Amino acid sequence: MTRYFKKPNSASLAFMVAGAVWFVVGAVYGMFSAIHLVSPEFLPEVAWLVFGRERPVHVNTMLYGFVGTMLIGCGLYCVPMLLRTRLWSEPLAWGGFVLWNLVILSGPLGFAFGYTQGREYSEYTWSADMLLMVAVTLIIINLIMTIVHRTEQQLYVSIWYFVAAFLWTAGNYPIGNVMWHPATGAMPGLIDSIFLWFWGHNLPGLFITPLATGAAYFVIPRVARTPLNSHTLSLLGFWLLVALYTHIGGHHVLQSPIPNWLKAVSIVDSVAMVVPVTIVVLNLWLTARQRGAVVWGDPAARLVMAGIVWYLITCIQGPVQSLPYLQRVTHFNNWTVGHAHIAMLGFGGYIALGAMYHILPMVTGRSVYSARLINLQFGLITFGLTGFFLVLTAAGLVQGTSWNNGETVYRVLPQLRPFMVSRAALGIFILTASIIGLINLIMTITHGRKLAPEELDQAEEGL
Amino acid sequence: MKMTPALLIVGALMVFWASSFIIVGLPSLTMKDEPSDIWRQLTPDEQAGLRLYVQNGCSYCHSRYIRINDWDIGAERIAQSGDYVGQEPAILGTERTGPDLSQEGGEHPDDWHISHFNNPRFTSPISLMPSWKFLGAEKIRQLTAFVQAMGGKMADSRMKRQNHYKRAAIAAFEAGPDGNITWLHSQVPEVWRKMPNPYPATEASLLRGKRIYQDFCINCHGPIGDGQGMAALQTYPPPLNFTTLRRHLVENKYIGGIFYYQIMNGVTGTAMPYFKKHLESEKIWDLSNYLGVTFLGFTDANTDPRGIDAAYEEEWKNNYQAPELPGQPGK
Repeated sequence: MTRYFKKPNSASLAFMVAGAVWFVVGAVYGMFSAIHLVSPEFLPEVAWLVFGRERPVHVNTMLYGFVGTMLIGCGLYCVPMLLRTRLWSEPLAWGGFVLWNLVILSGPLGFAFGYTQGREYSEYTWSADMLLMVAVTLIIINLIMTIVHRTEQQLYVSIWYFVAAFLWTAGNYPIGNVMWHPATGAMPGLIDSIFLWFWGHNLPGLFITPLATGAAYFVIPRVARTPLNSHTLSLLGFWLLVALYTHIGGHHVLQSPIPNWLKAVSIVDSVAMVVPVTIVVLNLWLTARQRGAVVWGDPAARLVMAGIVWYLITCIQGPVQSLPYLQRVTHFNNWTVGHAHIAMLGFGGYIALGAMYHILPMVTGRSVYSARLINLQFGLITFGLTGFFLVLTAAGLVQGTSWNNGETVYRVLPQLRPFMVSRAALGIFILTASIIGLINLIMTITHGRKLAPEELDQAEEGL
Repeated sequence: MKMTPALLIVGALMVFWASSFIIVGLPSLTMKDEPSDIWRQLTPDEQAGLRLYVQNGCSYCHSRYIRINDWDIGAERIAQSGDYVGQEPAILGTERTGPDLSQEGGEHPDDWHISHFNNPRFTSPISLMPSWKFLGAEKIRQLTAFVQAMGGKMADSRMKRQNHYKRAAIAAFEAGPDGNITWLHSQVPEVWRKMPNPYPATEASLLRGKRIYQDFCINCHGPIGDGQGMAALQTYPPPLNFTTLRRHLVENKYIGGIFYYQIMNGVTGTAMPYFKKHLESEKIWDLSNYLGVTFLGFTDANTDPRGIDAAYEEEWKNNYQAPELPGQPGK
């Protein structure tokens, strides 16, 4: 047993499997939430499945559990591989794995029974926060020691992003979660919203985004078998991300009475985010230039490329909806829910899945069980998520324009029914896709064709 | 520029912390936490209610700040930074599947909230809120206390009004059906009492009225208008039995204006809310025709005094007969 915890890349695989499991769990909770928005009397009196409790389970399990966990798994493979060494300590990574997953488990087990701090994206209780911080610290130590023991001199872009994601999270998370107030995890008064949305936006921006960007920078050049388009653009994208993204949380409470200068900073930097995003997208796409057939033809790389498409859509929509005049219509309604889904499932989730399938053969020594199942999963998620985005955006516009014209929230509820029914129906596609992905992953580990040593070497050198 | 481990680690941290200082450090140093004119301390019960509000994820569907472009409940006061002093956490919210609650206190009396928490559909038939009955009576009471405190001193003055009229409404209800209606009618200004419904009770308008009744009224006043909807379990005085109105037409011929006024304005102190934010003029007139025709067998639609017909109106004659009352000739 202890030998397994020392086996190279075993922790990476564990993170990826856990991510796939959390995807199914998160999707189940999402499904229940969607049904409850159609039929609030569905399973009444089940205390742990009321909307106010199942929604944070869905959100946190998807963010930290599925996307976060799976991408960490990818990173734990990429970093040592790119540095031509082994992960410094496999057991230490396993320690991080256990703690990290305990935190995510505290969602379904805790929130459902009222053990929550209730602040969006910062719901985990103080003890879970502590576990998460220890897990992040263990990963940082492991990554830095891996860098110290590297045999490759150059640090490739993916490494910057993977390492920085944890360095930033180690600073972001305790601030946003106000960890020095263990009981509530909150500041008193209005200023809490600034702390809350500091982490609320840095979670996708300075944790998920660098992990996913790092994974994309890893997969695309390898599949395209070309060097990265531009080192300069990589640098610009990286440094602008942290310089700008850190500032923009305020756009979540733009119309609240927070100070005006803070609103101005949030809006300006939100709009400026177009720059680093465009740089990253261009850099990756120009890398795949003239290799489109290869990249889009590869089931794993197709997921990554599509994730970059979602990234572009998300990050054009995001700056636009940070504009105060537009927010009068788009804020407080399903428009934002649509945006959150293309950001997390579209950008983060697609790249996590793509990178996972790409890395899986190297980590397991087996070829992926079924490329057709990857394609099926891609199709189901793409149909479900595209529908989600359109339906929720339309629903949001109906709500926002109605309210802005003086209709009350209650009056607009009947208008939401067709949208909420479609959204629940589309959710079935995403739930199915998550289950197919988990099956494919497990079948790969148990029944995938074993790769001969020379095949494995070839895989590691690039496809 | 070559990325060395030192540059990566030190640089990434320096840029991050410098940026973070601007966005959380500076506000922490400069934002003043001074109470606004409506702020007051929460009582222990209300504080317990706030904990329940946070634990049960109420903030995922309810926001807690009014913007300049809002019309719904609470729109009389745009949120100010001093409204949240000392509340930990004061979750502002990101979605309005339900209404903003920052000024909810005193919008309804306690019994309305207790019924609404037990099953939101009792008071609001198309609500998407989950039932909170499983929390038990004590926690529902605390939640109600917190909700009634939202709005601070403004909520307190509304609660004072609710409690004042609650006493009067209970006294009226306990005086029996006739006394109750006499009191209810007396709450409507004289000019409204003798105002007939100016719009014809056509089949189409009655169908529209029915739709409004089903979306707004049915679970208090009941499918047959006898006031025995599910909300009657928890509200006191209970919802009005419309059929008792039949012997209380003003001058044995008017009821439309009274319906309109009470629907628009509500009966403060009772669970009957005002609907003027939800329903505009035509919907209320259609609903009052529906109530009259369906539950009283009578509407004063289009009777005198009347003005010029609206352009869309077809020829429509009111054939409803006012009830025959002892000592009074029917119309």
